[in-house]
Amino acid sequence: MTATQDFTPQIPNQAEEVEQLHRSWRHPRGVLGWLSYTTHQAIGTRYIITAFIMLLTGGAEALLMRTQLARPNNGFLSPDRYNEIFTTHGTTMMFLFAVPMMEGMAIYLVPLMCGTRNVAFPRLNAFGYWMFLFGVLFLYWGVFTNAAPDVGWFAYPPLSGPQFTPGKRTDYWAQMITFTEVSALCVATEIIATIFKMRAPGMSLNRMPLYVWSLLIQSFMVIFAMPAVVIASSYLLSDRTVATQFVNPAEGGDPILYQHVFWFFGHPEVYIIFIPALGFVSAIVVAHARREIFGYTAMVLAQIANGFIAFGLWVHHMFATGLPQIGEAYFTASSMMIAITSGVQIFCWLATLWTGRPRLTTALHFIYGFLVIFVVGGLTGVVLASVPLDWQVHDTYFVVAHFHYVLIGGALFPLFGAFYHWFPKITGRMMDEKIGRLNFWVLFIGFNLTFFPMHIQGLMGMPRRVYTYPAEMGWGPLNFIETIGAYIIGIGGILFIANVVSSHRSGRIAGNNPWDADSLEWATASPPENYNFEYLPVATSRYPLWVDRSERAFVTGLRNDRREALVTTLMDAEPHHRYVFPASSIWPFITAIAVTIGFAGSVFNPWYIVWGSVLSGLALVGWFWPRGDSEAES
Amino acid sequence: MTEFRTIDVSGLPSYDVSSQSPLWWGQLMITFIEGTMFGILIAAYFYTRLRMDVWPPPGDQYPHLLLPSLALVPLILSCAGSYWASESAKKNSRLGMIAGLLLNLVLAVIALAMRIVEWHSLNFNWKADIQGSYVWAFLGLHTFDYIADLVFTAVLLVLVLIGRYGPKQRLGVHVDSVVWYFLVLIWIPIYVTIYWAPVFAGSQQ
Repeated sequence: MTATQDFTPQIPNQAEEVEQLHRSWRHPRGVLGWLSYTTHQAIGTRYIITAFIMLLTGGAEALLMRTQLARPNNGFLSPDRYNEIFTTHGTTMMFLFAVPMMEGMAIYLVPLMCGTRNVAFPRLNAFGYWMFLFGVLFLYWGVFTNAAPDVGWFAYPPLSGPQFTPGKRTDYWAQMITFTEVSALCVATEIIATIFKMRAPGMSLNRMPLYVWSLLIQSFMVIFAMPAVVIASSYLLSDRTVATQFVNPAEGGDPILYQHVFWFFGHPEVYIIFIPALGFVSAIVVAHARREIFGYTAMVLAQIANGFIAFGLWVHHMFATGLPQIGEAYFTASSMMIAITSGVQIFCWLATLWTGRPRLTTALHFIYGFLVIFVVGGLTGVVLASVPLDWQVHDTYFVVAHFHYVLIGGALFPLFGAFYHWFPKITGRMMDEKIGRLNFWVLFIGFNLTFFPMHIQGLMGMPRRVYTYPAEMGWGPLNFIETIGAYIIGIGGILFIANVVSSHRSGRIAGNNPWDADSLEWATASPPENYNFEYLPVATSRYPLWVDRSERAFVTGLRNDRREALVTTLMDAEPHHRYVFPASSIWPFITAIAVTIGFAGSVFNPWYIVWGSVLSGLALVGWFWPRGDSEAES
Repeated sequence: MTEFRTIDVSGLPSYDVSSQSPLWWGQLMITFIEGTMFGILIAAYFYTRLRMDVWPPPGDQYPHLLLPSLALVPLILSCAGSYWASESAKKNSRLGMIAGLLLNLVLAVIALAMRIVEWHSLNFNWKADIQGSYVWAFLGLHTFDYIADLVFTAVLLVLVLIGRYGPKQRLGVHVDSVVWYFLVLIWIPIYVTIYWAPVFAGSQQ
């Protein structure tokens, strides 16, 4: 391992070639230009910022609920308002924060880590972002016009059906799902194509960074899980708008089938959120423990197994619906199996840290926090996999405690670690480590204060989704502690934002590779130029920045007067052909508007599906219509 | 100054009309997405059927078998046109692309017309009962994709006819065939479900 600061080659005509690259990758100007950006850094950043605003919104909703629950018989929120807020909290956190945030990070990092210049389909990427943004606006338009959904983030029929929830609330929810699933599927498709076909020469599958592996697995999970929620939300929407009978028991429809389809998506969804987070953990552990990962092959296999098993345990969300015993036994066993694959990964990280030379940075603090919280959440998960115990604590705060431990512990703590780790790459400046550590401890203490007592409270019998409780139940003190904890988490959030703002303005200049890390995103400037690399790197090892300088290699011969990169073979990443990215384009934005007219309008009038399809078809023809000489046969 | 090793790729072609292209992989993923969607719907259809004593539900006639079965002939043959166009796109033969796309379109439109005629013989709509909801969901979703791909194929044909095409459009013709094979292939289990399931898995009183 050697110092890696200067990872740029010196090549004749370099200045001239870089000038050409600058010109061909420059963003268009003006408002229309801004709407036409297609570089992965710009789109990734937009995803990250939008999703972060959604995290703050969902957090504010959580604080409203905690305020209401602080003492018994509280009248801060009305029962109806409380229902709306817990629904929008869950919906926002799952669909509008967690998944898009992981996607945004992937869009930013995967092309850099793979050593290429953009995602494989830059315009699709822009389209996906606009769909996500319009989905956010659509749901919150409902929220601010007093039509917030109020049937839970899963919207079970018959409660959510046309008979029991008239009005538009549930339609807003169901159609918001459509927006976000389109966006998620766009990202999954382009991430898979990027990872399969655009890796740096030499980066064979067995040299791929674990973070890239995690995104490959997550993207396949999106591809196989999201269609299920397409169907669940379409069942609901078509029953409500065009009077189909999918979830209407009177005509042979089946509410339980809705639950099956929803959770066939819903369980993998959790892993869609936390598998990329495990990728963060691997990247941060390697960089900050300053050694190669322990058990690379075991890690990859455990993650793949995780991805497969995730599709075989959705019924553990439905143990209380009355199932055949054989079904219960099967899904108990498969649910417990997750502990094996997760355990393998945890032991590999521990071994890496144990035998490495860890630097106790803020990022690593968050990883240690993750290990503690996630293991606790995993253990209650094993408890909940057992049917008798599940029945006992079903729909109590024990379950709330469990999934906040696995989701906040499993995804949010690694995410904050990732913010501290990659902030220097994205902004070019270091975050403040002192505030960072304070930030970590405030979040860690606040989190445990909020969610640990919920285990006890759940065992005491307090049900979820109730807006208040009588004083004689004795749940008051625990609830009060939890509310204090929630506000401490809020302070942790403010500390983080303050740190981001001040570091962005006046943080220490980071340089290319402040952590002396191993992977290719650190081989270029911070922040990277639109073209990422002046010369595409060659991966000569699994840890390309830790090899001796004499071992390094670069790609030359790409044309710089247009946006070019290299396509390589799937397994061994041997150079195959050059690839021309499309230029910036306004058409993804126009297409997203056309699709939005169809989606949003159809909530009010089914014919909008037809008008929206015609408009989208026209927009797509505009999108694909060839223009300029660069398209012609060369 | 350190000497770095370099790989010179200026000799590689700047496009490739084959499964090596990222676009081909993107298109494959889209067929996975739609295949999963239709697969879940087919599973849901049979799940629903298991919970009912009478199938199709009372009042629903058995769907006719003749016309939809005959419609399979032009549908499957249209793949030949698609294949022809796709192979011609690889070889950059304009005439082959035009002929293949035209054959694909004509046969697909014939199959579509037969399908739409067949719709008029169904005596239930999506509001009638659960079978109606599923049958029309299959028909609606598949026909939507079908028409969307026909439009896309027609646009490609126009581009080739007026000569405004290059490697990107040839690649478009190639991946368009991937979508078309998928749409034809997935129709077969859907066809079996809609038209034959009431016969071999039904029990009308």
